[in-house]
Amino acid sequence: MTPNSPSSPGSLSRRSLLSSTAAAALAVAGGAPLLAACGGGGATNEGTTTGKKLKDLLPVYVASGLVDPDIPARNGSAAGFTKAVPAAELKVSVPQRLGRGREFSVMAPIWGNTPKAGNPYWTAMDKAVGVHVRWQNQQGDTYGQKLGAVLASSSVPDAVVVPGWELSGKIPSAIAHKMADLGPYLSGDKVKKYPNLAAIPTGAWQRSVFGGKLRGLPMPAPITPNIAMLHRADLFAKENIEPPKTAREFFDLCKDLNAPKSGVWACGDMSWAAFRIFGVLPEDKPTYWKLVDGKLVNRCETDEYLEALEWSRKLYAAGFVHPDAKAETGNLGDLCASGKIFVYNGDLSDWYGKTVVQRVENKKFEMGAFDYFAPDGGAPTLYARPPADIWTFVSEKADEKTVRDILALANFCAAPFGSKEQRLRQYGVEGVHHTYEDGVLVKNGKGNNEVFSTYEYVASAAPYIAQPDHPDVVKGMVEWQQRQGSHVRKPLFHALQVQEPTRYTELNAEFEDLEKDIVRGRKKVGAMRQAAADWKSGGGDKLRDWYRKLLDETGSSAS
Amino acid sequence: MAHGTTDTRGTAASGPEAAAPRTEPGAGTRTGQSRRTDAAPRVPLRHRLRRDRVLLLMVLPALLLLLVFNYVPLIGNVVAFQDYDPYLADNAFQAISQSPWVGFEHFRHMADDRLFWQAVRNTLAIFLIQLTLFFPVPILLALFLHSFVRPRVRAVAQAILYLPHFFSWVLVITVFQQMFGGAGLVAQVLRDHGHEGFDLMTDPGFFKFLITFELIWKDAGWGVIVFLAALSAISSDLYEAAAMDGAGRWRRMWHIQLPALRPVLALLLVLQVGNALTVGFEQILLQRTAVGPTASEVLDTYVWNVGLDNGNFSYAAAVGIVKGIFGLVLVLAANKVAHLMGEQGVYKR
Repeated sequence: MTPNSPSSPGSLSRRSLLSSTAAAALAVAGGAPLLAACGGGGATNEGTTTGKKLKDLLPVYVASGLVDPDIPARNGSAAGFTKAVPAAELKVSVPQRLGRGREFSVMAPIWGNTPKAGNPYWTAMDKAVGVHVRWQNQQGDTYGQKLGAVLASSSVPDAVVVPGWELSGKIPSAIAHKMADLGPYLSGDKVKKYPNLAAIPTGAWQRSVFGGKLRGLPMPAPITPNIAMLHRADLFAKENIEPPKTAREFFDLCKDLNAPKSGVWACGDMSWAAFRIFGVLPEDKPTYWKLVDGKLVNRCETDEYLEALEWSRKLYAAGFVHPDAKAETGNLGDLCASGKIFVYNGDLSDWYGKTVVQRVENKKFEMGAFDYFAPDGGAPTLYARPPADIWTFVSEKADEKTVRDILALANFCAAPFGSKEQRLRQYGVEGVHHTYEDGVLVKNGKGNNEVFSTYEYVASAAPYIAQPDHPDVVKGMVEWQQRQGSHVRKPLFHALQVQEPTRYTELNAEFEDLEKDIVRGRKKVGAMRQAAADWKSGGGDKLRDWYRKLLDETGSSAS
Repeated sequence: MAHGTTDTRGTAASGPEAAAPRTEPGAGTRTGQSRRTDAAPRVPLRHRLRRDRVLLLMVLPALLLLLVFNYVPLIGNVVAFQDYDPYLADNAFQAISQSPWVGFEHFRHMADDRLFWQAVRNTLAIFLIQLTLFFPVPILLALFLHSFVRPRVRAVAQAILYLPHFFSWVLVITVFQQMFGGAGLVAQVLRDHGHEGFDLMTDPGFFKFLITFELIWKDAGWGVIVFLAALSAISSDLYEAAAMDGAGRWRRMWHIQLPALRPVLALLLVLQVGNALTVGFEQILLQRTAVGPTASEVLDTYVWNVGLDNGNFSYAAAVGIVKGIFGLVLVLAANKVAHLMGEQGVYKR
């Protein structure tokens, strides 16, 4: 199985998902100083950038229109591509090489083994872009710790990939201090020099403004939920089981399916799904607020948060949750694929990832994802995800020519599906890394070992899912996104990069641990009420005032 | 070359030794006072350096490592008195010089930090449990292997016992989960026979014992090496003499083997006490969600969470300093006790 193969842009591999959720609470806690424009501290760059100032920074949007997707994007979903065309019919998105032969280093996370330097894939990419990239790939699971140390040192690589879930602690401060302002190269019409970058949606660029400057090259993501209630659709169809429509039905279904005696449990930990079923606010700053009667209310103070925890707790208490999920060991996706659990909440990309592995043996294997529902049935309240959550930053020390060459690389990497550039980036060299026969595009062993998705972190096209080898999976995923997308609403401060004052850094640090304690029955739901009260008195009220001021200045972006 | 070296050492050493007969520590004929005046400035430093140069050279790499990785980083502890931001400047020294000083602020904060004290309590509890349950196991195993197992079987047994030491913690915990987890072998067998399943891996009350058992499975066999070495150093004359006097197996163990192990025991015990606040990091971090931080947070995981994940390096450094000082006090105290019991301990005065 290919290590980084489920590489639909916008959906991350499982490992990164795990680190993302593990770090999410910390990211919430991890306010750090930067950004101008508002709320108390101009000198420390706290706050965000909005209005005209923001408009002036953003690159203009020029849609690509190079290739029409088979399933157009709708409701904030990704676009879907189900067919691969032969190499001769691929379009060209970068007519002339933009690179001027500079050599530069790029540090990126990798989930798998990094290929050897000088391998044919990197060489072909270098040649096509006109640059010489020295990759400094680091294991994705421990990327955050490496990142912290590297940014603190005096030898910062020329370009550094930073995933959103690592933006905790003082990392944002490092970005503001040590990363270059790309505004002079990209703001407004300047981006037109890099057509593929100009085709990146504005929301993604908006999330790339750090410390009052356009610093990040974004990897755009769909704003529909990334967490899905994944299950074996083939087993459900065989047994004629209808997907649940209410929280009660889900519980009853679990009751029917649970059979520990045969080593089969109903589900994994369902907390992430519960947060979406019950309409809980996102856990990340700055979107964890909502307005109730004109007053800002935080996620931890809402009733739906407690209800979601209580519902997840009941699944544990009834013995429906697989013991490995309780101990948080092993891989729930694999447990589901092998029929040891029926439902789990995981990243949507598992749909493809598990299918591609299982269909080698079992052609009928089919994954699926339940539609979200409100607790009592009907339309759920789902909050939009940030339109970009991985960036590449360029070191402040890089000279202009190097910056230009890094942008040339980014422009190449952001080529849309159906272009020559995208084929090379995603599948490597034809004959060496992949084969194309009768419309079937397959990576071979060498392709799986060398063609990793680190390039797409440097910059990506507008979100799309393209897996021509399993068109039914693409259709299933995109249509799921579109159905959920019709219920998505934008939270306050959506798509903004907000920097909270550092004194609130640890305010939210305990919530994630507490959530886990509560659903596993180690603590009562009341403990969360207490924690919310502590949060209020420990600085939460002051943070609320700070956000109130920010809201008054920026205006509401909620829908 | 080697021959020449031995020669020089031989001649160089013979001179002073002739003048000042070697002092036998614990021989009882000299007081500490006279020993010091006698032995101290006899050989000039220059001569001693020359005499021991080969040994010194052999120690040098280790000393350098110690210096670079243990002593130089100590300087970094100044951040405990600052509001340190490593990203202010290009390198750590500049960043330290630009970060604001806050005095003992972080130490004061520690005193009211509920989570810190929870970590201290867990750490000490785990230390005490490991001291009573883990520490004796390698000794008993060594005595058993030495006295009751035939040499050929012993070699095989030892190899099997060592093996888990080379497993990573991830693997050890996975093995335990597969055996004793809620979906593990034991639970499934119980369910097959109509009993309730059980889950040893997610029980917060049992956690401190669980990690001790994991430690025993992984490292007890490895700990046997030291004791087996000490046991094999015992002269067979002693056993023969004891046997002549009619001493059985148990008598020999009590009067010959255990006393022979005493110095090693004392040394290891003192070291163990010094490491009291270091009770396992990876092992505990990996099982954090399974039992929750209330049962599992120890000082090392706490420093990790605060320092690396929350980016509060200064506070984490302050906790580290407190931990270090406490560890030092414990070593000194334990060493004192060892001296009082007539053992050498880690060092002698």
